[in-house]
Amino acid sequence: MGMATSTKEPGLEALKRLKSTKAPEWLTPNPSLSQTARAASEHLFASLKPFTPKSPFEKLLTQGFDAEQIWQQIDLQSHPLMSTLRREVKRFEKNPDEISKLKKVQKVGHKGSEGVKGVVEEESDGLDEGLNGFDEELDEDEEEEEEEEKEEEERESEGEEEGEEGREGGIEDAFLKIKELEGFLEDGEAMEYGLKKKGDGLGKKSKKSKGSEEEEEEDDDDEEDDELGAFGLGDDEDDDQNADKMASYDDFFGSNKKKTSKRKSEVNVRSEDLDMGDEQEDSDMGDGQEDSDMGDEQEDSDMGDDQEDDGAFENKKQETLSTHEKELQKLRSQIELMEKEDLEQKDWTMQGEVTAEKRPVNSALEVDLEFDHNVRPAPVITEEVTVALEEIIKERILKGQYDDVQKAPRLPSVAPREIKELDENKSKKGLAEVYEEEYVQQTNLNSAPLSFKDEQKKEASMLFKKLCLKLDALSHFHFAPKPVIEDMSIQANVPALAMEEVKSLLHLWLSQTQLCWLLRKFLLAKVTLRKKLSLHRQKGRGGELIRRGNSKLRQLNGLQRSHKTAHP
Amino acid sequence: MNRRNTRLRREYLYRKSLEGKERILYEKKRMIKEALQEGKPIPTELRNEEAELRHQIDLEDESTAVPRTHIDDEYANASESDPKILITTSRNPSAPLTQFVKELKFVFPNAQRMNRGGQVIKEIIETCRAHDFTDVILVHEHRGVPDGITISHLPFGPTAYFGLLNVVTRHDIKDKKAIGTMSEAYPHLILNKFSTKLGERTANILKHLFPVPKPDTKRIITFANESDYISFRHHIYEKHGGPKSIELKEVGPRFEMRLYKITLGTLDQDEAQTEWVIRPYMNTTKKRKFLGD
Repeated sequence: MGMATSTKEPGLEALKRLKSTKAPEWLTPNPSLSQTARAASEHLFASLKPFTPKSPFEKLLTQGFDAEQIWQQIDLQSHPLMSTLRREVKRFEKNPDEISKLKKVQKVGHKGSEGVKGVVEEESDGLDEGLNGFDEELDEDEEEEEEEEKEEEERESEGEEEGEEGREGGIEDAFLKIKELEGFLEDGEAMEYGLKKKGDGLGKKSKKSKGSEEEEEEDDDDEEDDELGAFGLGDDEDDDQNADKMASYDDFFGSNKKKTSKRKSEVNVRSEDLDMGDEQEDSDMGDGQEDSDMGDEQEDSDMGDDQEDDGAFENKKQETLSTHEKELQKLRSQIELMEKEDLEQKDWTMQGEVTAEKRPVNSALEVDLEFDHNVRPAPVITEEVTVALEEIIKERILKGQYDDVQKAPRLPSVAPREIKELDENKSKKGLAEVYEEEYVQQTNLNSAPLSFKDEQKKEASMLFKKLCLKLDALSHFHFAPKPVIEDMSIQANVPALAMEEVKSLLHLWLSQTQLCWLLRKFLLAKVTLRKKLSLHRQKGRGGELIRRGNSKLRQLNGLQRSHKTAHP
Repeated sequence: MNRRNTRLRREYLYRKSLEGKERILYEKKRMIKEALQEGKPIPTELRNEEAELRHQIDLEDESTAVPRTHIDDEYANASESDPKILITTSRNPSAPLTQFVKELKFVFPNAQRMNRGGQVIKEIIETCRAHDFTDVILVHEHRGVPDGITISHLPFGPTAYFGLLNVVTRHDIKDKKAIGTMSEAYPHLILNKFSTKLGERTANILKHLFPVPKPDTKRIITFANESDYISFRHHIYEKHGGPKSIELKEVGPRFEMRLYKITLGTLDQDEAQTEWVIRPYMNTTKKRKFLGD
C-alpha cells in the first residue's frame, strides 16, 4: 500500500501537473512538459501492469523513444485490457447479481482524492473476488480521471453497498432485501436497455478515458485537457452536489418516489452540468477528428443518459396510468406509425403505373393481380349442357321442324308443253287426205300453216290476217295484193264429160215462160227427187253417188257450179 | 373467263348500289299498303306519288314485292343445285389437323378435300370458280388443335370467319367400333336460337353448305347458338317403339364455333367490305349478344 502510494506519488504529481497546465502551454513544444507527460504515462503503465499478464514490457520505455513508439507500447498493453474490460462488463450486464458480490464499498462521504482513494483501496481489495475487469476499470478511471470514475463508482457503489451489506450480515437483512435489489437492478437495466446499454456507456467512457489517456501524449493536447477539465469540472460539480445530497438509506430503501425524484433531479443536474461542459468544450474546441468524435460520443452518451433516465422515469409512470391514458398512448403510437408511413415512400403496389424497373424482381408474381375481362368466357361443355342440347334436338325431331334448305319456286321460263290427247274416234279424213294436206302445206309456201288445233285460234288467226292485209294496204306505198289462191278442192260429183253448153242459144230459143214452166217443173221434181235421194242413196260402180232420173237436176247443179267457178 | 367475271362483278356492284333507292321505294309502297289496309289516310309525303305507287303495288307478285338485297342475292340460286364444297387447310398442316379435315369431308355431303401444298389462296379460289364449286372451307390450327374455320361462298359470296373451341374429333375416340362409320345421307339441319339479323345471316351461310335432304333421313346436324357460341353436333336418331321415344347417337366431331367476322367478298379479296366484325375492346360487348337470344 505504502509502496503503492510512494510510486503513485510522482506519477500522480505528474498527472496533477499536467492537469494544471494551461491550454496555451500545450501549443509550444515544451521539454519539461513532455517529461512530465512521459512520467505520467510511465506511472499509468506501471499501475496497469498487474492487470495485463501478457504484456511484453515491464515498464513503459519512454527515454529516448519516439512518441510513436511510446504510443505503440501503450497500445500493446491496452488492447487486451480493453477486451477483458468489455467481457467483464458484459458479464455484469447478464448477471447483475455478481455486482452485489463485490465487496461493500464505503460510502463516499466527502468528495476528495482521499475519499476517492479510500474507495479505490477498498475496491482494490475487491480484486480478490475476481472482478478484475470491473476493478481495473475502477482503477483506471481513478488513476486518470478520478472524478469521472467517481460518477460511475457511485452508480456501482450503490449496488456495491447493498452487496456489501448483504455479504456481511447474511444474504438478507433489514437493509437489504433481494427483491428490492433485483427490482433496482432491473430498473438499472431498463435504463440501459431503454436507449443505451450501461455497459456501452461505460465502455465508451472507458474508451474515452483510454483515448484521453492516449491523447495525453499528443503534442497538441489542449483538447484533452479541455475535455478533462470540462468533464472533470462537470464531474466535480456533480460530485459536489451529489456529495451534498449524498446517497442516503432512504434514497435506496425508502419509497420509489423519492428515488425517482432524486434521479430526476440528478439527471437534471447532470444534464445541466454536462450541457455546460459541452458548451465549454465546443467553445474551446481545437482541431482533430478524435476530439470531435470524442465530443460526440460524450454528448451522445450524455444525451443517452438523459433519455435513459427520462425513459426510466416514464416507465415508472406508465404503471399508474388510467385506461384513458393508456388508450391515448395507444392512439399516439398509432398516429406515430401512420405519420411515419405517410412520410415514407409508398409501396410499389400503391404507386399507380409501375414498370418493371421500378419494382423489385419477381414481385408481380407474389401479388394477386385483378383483371377485367371484357369477353365472355368460352362455355364449358358439361354433361348438363349436352343433355340440354339433346333435348332440344329430340323435340325438333318429334315435331319434324327442321331448318333445311327449301327449293325456291321457279318462275316458268318455258311454256308448258301441250299434252296431246289420243282421240280414239276414227278420223274423218282419210289417210290419203291427210297426206294430201301435208303435201299441200309443204309445197305451197305461201299458205299459212294450219298447225293450230283449236278452232278459236284458227278464227283468230283468220281475222288477224285480214286485218294485217288491210293495214298493209293502207300503210305501204307499194302494195301488191295477194294473189288469190284457188283452193283446189276435189269435186267428187263432176261428170266425166263436161260438154260445152250452148247456153245462150238455148236461153234465147226458150221463152221466158217456157223457161219458168220448165224450172217450176224441175224444181218440184228436185224437191221430190231430193226426198227420194235422201232415202235411197246408192253408190254406183265407181263409188259415185247415183242419182236416179235427175240428170237434169244434176245438170242444173253443174251449171250452177260452173257458174260459180267461172266468176271470181 | 376474266371478262365474264368482271362483268358479273360490275353487275353485282350496280345492283348493290341500286339497293338504297329500291329500299326507299319499298318502304313507300309498304306504307301505302298499310294505310290502305287499315283505312287510314295516306301520309302526306306520299300523296303525289301515291297513284303510281299503287299501280305498281297492284302489279307486284310475290317475288317482286320483297326488296332484294345484294346480300341475299348471293344465295338466290343456291337452292336450285346442290352445293359443291372444297375443304383445305392452312399451310403445313399437322397430322391431327389432316385427320380433322378428313372428318369434315364426311360431315358435309358433296365435299372434297384437297392438300394445301404451297398454293396461294387466290389460285385456289380461281380454280374453284372455274370448276363451279359453291363453297370453300379453310381450317386453321394451333399446335395440332384446330382453332379456326373460314367458310367462303363462291361466286362473290360472303366469307364467314369462325374460331373453334372445345374440339373433339372422331379420332380422339380410340375405340373405332364404338363410333362406327358415318352415314353419308343428306342430313336434316337444326339451327337453334339465331334470332337477330346477323344471326339469320350466319344461319343462312351455314345452311347453304348442305343440300336439300330427303324428308326421312336419320342424320341430324345441329348448330345451336348459346350467347354467341355456336355448338356443332352431329347425331343419328332412331325411333324405337312408341311415338315419343327417340334415341340419339352422337356421331362425328363436336366443336364450338365463335363468329368473329363476315366480309362481303371471297377469301382472296382483302379489300372487301366487312359486314360485321367482333369488337372485344368495347365496354359493352360483354353485355350484348350478337347472334341472338
